[in-house]
Amino acid sequence: MDATVPMPAHAAAQSKAEPLVYRHSLTTRITHWLTVIAFVILVMSGLQIFNASPNLDASDKSNSHRRVLAIMGGNDAAGRPVGVTQLFGWTISTTHLLGYVDDGMGGESFRAFPAWLTWPGYQALADGRRWHLFFSWVLVLAGVAYFVAGLRRKDLQLLVLRLEDLPKLLPMQLYYLKLRKEPPPHGEYNPLQKAAYTMVLFVFTPLIVITGLALSPGIDAIANPLTVLLGGRQFARLWHFLLMLALIGFVLTHVTLVLSTGFINNMRSMLSGWYRLGKDQGAGI
Amino acid sequence: MRRRIFIATGTAAALAGCARITNALNENAAIHKSLGAAETLNHVLIGTHGRAKTYRDSEVDRDFRINGFDTPSDSRYRGLVRGSFASYKLIVDGAVERPRAMALRELRAMQSYSEATRHDCVEGWSAIGKWAGVPLAAVLKLARPTPKARFIVFHCFDRSPENDPYYESLDLAQAAHPQTVLALDLNGSALDPDHGAPVRLRVPTQLGYKSAKWVYRLQVAESLHPIFGGAGGYWEDNGYEWYAGI
Repeated sequence: MDATVPMPAHAAAQSKAEPLVYRHSLTTRITHWLTVIAFVILVMSGLQIFNASPNLDASDKSNSHRRVLAIMGGNDAAGRPVGVTQLFGWTISTTHLLGYVDDGMGGESFRAFPAWLTWPGYQALADGRRWHLFFSWVLVLAGVAYFVAGLRRKDLQLLVLRLEDLPKLLPMQLYYLKLRKEPPPHGEYNPLQKAAYTMVLFVFTPLIVITGLALSPGIDAIANPLTVLLGGRQFARLWHFLLMLALIGFVLTHVTLVLSTGFINNMRSMLSGWYRLGKDQGAGI
Repeated sequence: MRRRIFIATGTAAALAGCARITNALNENAAIHKSLGAAETLNHVLIGTHGRAKTYRDSEVDRDFRINGFDTPSDSRYRGLVRGSFASYKLIVDGAVERPRAMALRELRAMQSYSEATRHDCVEGWSAIGKWAGVPLAAVLKLARPTPKARFIVFHCFDRSPENDPYYESLDLAQAAHPQTVLALDLNGSALDPDHGAPVRLRVPTQLGYKSAKWVYRLQVAESLHPIFGGAGGYWEDNGYEWYAGI
């Protein structure tokens, strides 16, 4: 056992070399997997919805002069179908990736995101919205259940980044990059984990719900200052998209660490709650 | 190398399978029905409250984006356009005590609303136009809906490529909202045929498909079920939410 990593009290009480500890409550496990399902469907149905108007403007109403992203399809001079993506005015050829892509029916067609990234696969805005609006409720309700249970049991506070964690962020990153032998001393979750979870739980996820609401006319009429604060309806749509990218970034990092720090052990703990302490303890997810 | 080919083939198969799975789930009738719970929740919780943001004249789109189906090209509509809508009548009937057929002149005389509001399309784009016209509530007041009346159904001149008529509907609360109007003017001049002349509904508190163009009849109804597909609108019959506030 790494001496610089203090053992949690309940784990230290066990004398076995690699004791099992009960790490995740039933609420945490259920809401985790509900969120996994909701997140996948929300991203894919969101891209389906995006495809109906594949532009993002930093403005209130649609405004091509403030266009940040545009995914287009068309024919080139030789008449060949091509996909083109414009990002801040930079034009990138994205044929087969974006703009002219797999249509899910054995061919390719002019659509921003390919069929394997949208939900459903074929172009169907009404259906995409139906899935999106339903699973946004699943995400919100799972989040509320998680917070309520976490606050009651007081284990949510283990994940919150504190002032004293800030100086440990760099040493922890150096340890991950193998530029430092020992991780800085920390509790059950290391400072980088806490930073990531704090951002995801308290910033990105609430904001992605808020930006989604702010681009709806019914909410705009009730809470217009919110939409104005975000820069308007199209800007809310842009924020909503950027937050999706941020959350995808978190998920990719998270899954990489799950895989690299004892996949079976990690999966057992998120399925049954029981986690076997070992050399990777505290260093991973 | 063999491992890499294996992974590449596997990924391609997984990606192709992905669309097949999402399509199959999407077409399951029981799942489709369950997903509708979100609309009920949103309708109850968000409803039609507050007021849509209004804009300065300088913020309007002079060239307001043309949306919806093609401008009607049937002889009835073309005849109305040729006669500058002099023979146009807005029919108000159904569950009302005083059915009416109102000439454009009568509607003009009732004009009291003028606001620049944003049109939020379900596809994701938005545009700002200055709309002037008659609050829907004022027209309904003349016709006096019966106590059993629950919905206002808007019948339109335009048709889908499959020749289905466009129609929309609102409940009485949405119809009573002060920004729910029968628009006659856009950006200071009478609506042109491409923008829904002579009468277009404007519901800035909901998505653009509620703002039906080319309206010729308001049918006050006790239920939406007997009307066309029964879901309360052309797009609603094609899977879109009846409550379009979100």
